[in-house]
Amino acid sequence: MIEIESYDFADDVDYAASQQQGSQSIMRSNSGKMKDPEGGEVVYVKDNVSIHPTQYMSERISGRLKLVKQDDSLFMMWIPYKGQNTNTRLSERDRNLYTIRPLPITDVRSIRRHTPPLGWQYLIVVLSSGLAFPPLYFYNGGVKEFLATIKQHVLLVRSADDANVFIVNDFQDPLQKTLSSLELLGVVPVVAPSSAAIAVSPTSESQEKMAECACDTNCGSEFIERPKYKVNDPARDFSIQLLEKFSLVTKFARETTSQLFRENSGENLFLSDGRKPNHIPALPAAPPKLPPNDVQKVSDEVHVPEDPLEFYKLALIWGNPRQPPLSQEEWGDFLDSEGRVVDSEALKKRVFYGGIAHELRKEVWPFLLGHYDFNSTYAEREYLRSARKEDYEIIKLQWQSISPQQAKRFTKFRERKGLIDKDVVRTDRSFSYYNGDDNPNINLLYDILLTYSFYNFDLGYCQGMNDYLSPLLFVMEDESEAFWCFAALMERVGPNFNRDQSGMQAQLFALSKYCLVHWQLVELSDSPLHDYFKQNDCLNYFFCFRWILMQFKRQCADIYFSSFAHHRELRYEETLLLWEVLWTHHLTEHLHLYVCVAILKKYRNKIMGDRMDFDTLLKFINELTGHIDIEPTLRDAEALCLCLGETGAACIPPGTPPSLPLKNALVSSQLEDEILGYTILRKVIADQIASAKEDDLVAFELVFRWEW
Amino acid sequence: MSTRRRTLLKVIVLGDSGVGKTSLMNQYVHKKFSQQYKATIGADFVTKELQIDDKLVTLQIWDTAGQERFQSLGVAFYRGADCCVLVYDVNVMKSFDSLDNWHDEFLKQANPPDPKAFPFILLGNKIDIDGGNSRVVSEKKARDWCASRGNIPYFETSAKENIRVDDAFLCIAKAALANEREQDM
Repeated sequence: MIEIESYDFADDVDYAASQQQGSQSIMRSNSGKMKDPEGGEVVYVKDNVSIHPTQYMSERISGRLKLVKQDDSLFMMWIPYKGQNTNTRLSERDRNLYTIRPLPITDVRSIRRHTPPLGWQYLIVVLSSGLAFPPLYFYNGGVKEFLATIKQHVLLVRSADDANVFIVNDFQDPLQKTLSSLELLGVVPVVAPSSAAIAVSPTSESQEKMAECACDTNCGSEFIERPKYKVNDPARDFSIQLLEKFSLVTKFARETTSQLFRENSGENLFLSDGRKPNHIPALPAAPPKLPPNDVQKVSDEVHVPEDPLEFYKLALIWGNPRQPPLSQEEWGDFLDSEGRVVDSEALKKRVFYGGIAHELRKEVWPFLLGHYDFNSTYAEREYLRSARKEDYEIIKLQWQSISPQQAKRFTKFRERKGLIDKDVVRTDRSFSYYNGDDNPNINLLYDILLTYSFYNFDLGYCQGMNDYLSPLLFVMEDESEAFWCFAALMERVGPNFNRDQSGMQAQLFALSKYCLVHWQLVELSDSPLHDYFKQNDCLNYFFCFRWILMQFKRQCADIYFSSFAHHRELRYEETLLLWEVLWTHHLTEHLHLYVCVAILKKYRNKIMGDRMDFDTLLKFINELTGHIDIEPTLRDAEALCLCLGETGAACIPPGTPPSLPLKNALVSSQLEDEILGYTILRKVIADQIASAKEDDLVAFELVFRWEW
Repeated sequence: MSTRRRTLLKVIVLGDSGVGKTSLMNQYVHKKFSQQYKATIGADFVTKELQIDDKLVTLQIWDTAGQERFQSLGVAFYRGADCCVLVYDVNVMKSFDSLDNWHDEFLKQANPPDPKAFPFILLGNKIDIDGGNSRVVSEKKARDWCASRGNIPYFETSAKENIRVDDAFLCIAKAALANEREQDM
């Protein structure tokens, strides 16, 4: 199997690792959801197929490339070897990042073969989305067999344009596929081969010839004797350049992000313990934006995106089944004899997938919110509770001791009091815990909010804080505990209420950036929803404002006119579930943004089909209140998070709420400068995005440029 | 569906938190009043069809967050407005004092072609409270302010008791329509 070419593997650690692990199974995900396709037949396997994530040839990740046939589908996968590494710069994370999970060959648009006169052959696999995997270097040879094996199973057509490009086709709609591959390659407009010529082809063997024939016939004789290396085509060169530029730039962005997180002590989004999600390793190269031409227009029309199907398939593949809530018994198992949480990550994961039984929330929430340390004992927590109670009373006294005479001279205080007064009486009054006249819980909301506005005088009180406090008080059933949990939560979501709205802007910006990359990477068509938003001035994503500001609370619990009390209570419960899942920060700190995308995707056909403009979309989203099913939405959000992994996460700039602000981290002065520059630029970009008038590419390029 | 585009009039309702913006709109459109409206977060709107001088128009009334802190979001929502409704609570001096700020901030963010001619309307709400005994802003004071701002039409309303709500919104619709026609020319 291993054919050693002119390369000395003696001191190659990767090679040694490959020998050690050669026979090991390649079930890679610790969450165990993506195995080799069950019962799949391995039709091709090649060791020492490597990528070079950096420009240094010495830095590489080696792995095993496989083609697996299951039923009638062919899957390609590339799994890096585990184990030691020659260079410290490449981490386990890099390995995970670049891993190619089982990928249906039908998702591949084309494969470009490179045969440099010196050095090893390599392939570049381009997906239908326009995204390219990093080059796969075949250190043990095997390029020819790889292509031959694919050809045995799917239609593989040599590009009419470049003899080294192989267009992967399925049998469903050759015309469509051919059109889209032409579009990708950015060739000068070529008349498509007649569909009949391909459609009648009986075997895959003859199909290639047929397709070539068809092309030759239509494209004229200049293609019959094709030179091996095609003459310069400005359009295509531009596309490739752009692709390379983007992949370079996004790579830097990713590295910067990773570095920032490494430096950011404690609050590491990307856990290095191997629990982090696995990813589609696709290098986040944006598909080339081609100058509009007729070919593209035609193919856009033919290419009706069937997203809902794709999306449900996605959830099916990536999202884990939801579980029943964490029970009392299970909770007991998480604690040692003195009350410490033994494995906090396992606990978070458990809560992520199932939530918490209601009677337990009071105990578990303070951990999730960071009010209690996971390592604390029963005794320590008991002490903390009483100490914190005293602290709370002292802060509360600060405003309670303000006399009417003093208040008269204290405008800020009066204004705050007035605002809070107005808001508490309209906070979840239809929910049983807060309904009825003279409900004492309303007074507690008031006391806690006013006390918090003294505890954090700079942030003060802002509408929406009442919505955050209401479920906390309902769950904790204790004034002081509710206060401290609220204060802990505000450490995370407080920036949502910044006076300059920078916290919200940052999240809306991250959302728009993520969406752009998402539509491009995941959708098999070229981001029609993004284009739709762009055409309709919706790129600022302001319609998600309410969702983000209150982490969907209003969406679940806010039903003005529902006369079904039971329904309302149920919805209130759903908020509690959604929040505790978000607070685990399992997989990501920004699950709420993925939830936004999940919902948008769910309704995407409705949004586009009804031709909603910004106003209608905002209205539509506001009216989804009470109509969002939390469990399936969470599963979809998880799927989104898993499938784009760090590529998706890299769209969310470090420090975006609810991540803790970067200034808390131990950062070098240089890094601080970068962050400062970033903050300023982010503001500029956010303003640009808010105005949503400019070409999105310009805006995003600006971002990339900074990150670069 | 008619092929002719129905006139859509965009109206923005502004004013301090708790002056009754949501209540006024819901009284006008849904003929409902509730003590339980929540503080408006972000923005939302309701629509109502009405006829003005044989012309069928759709009034799109935008409700916005009253807390100053959310003002900067106006840019996204004020665009293309045909009329701006300012609301204050006759029982709260602060809500009246804020009117200048709301007025100027709106013009700044909406950036209408002719700011001086842009139609505003002022509503003094909650006149029902305590039979008018807790009132701190007199009608005269309000009318003086309107005069100083280019003769802004003024209505004293109660969303709760449905006092002059329809009148006010009809006036708003007419002003918006006039503004729209102005711009068409």
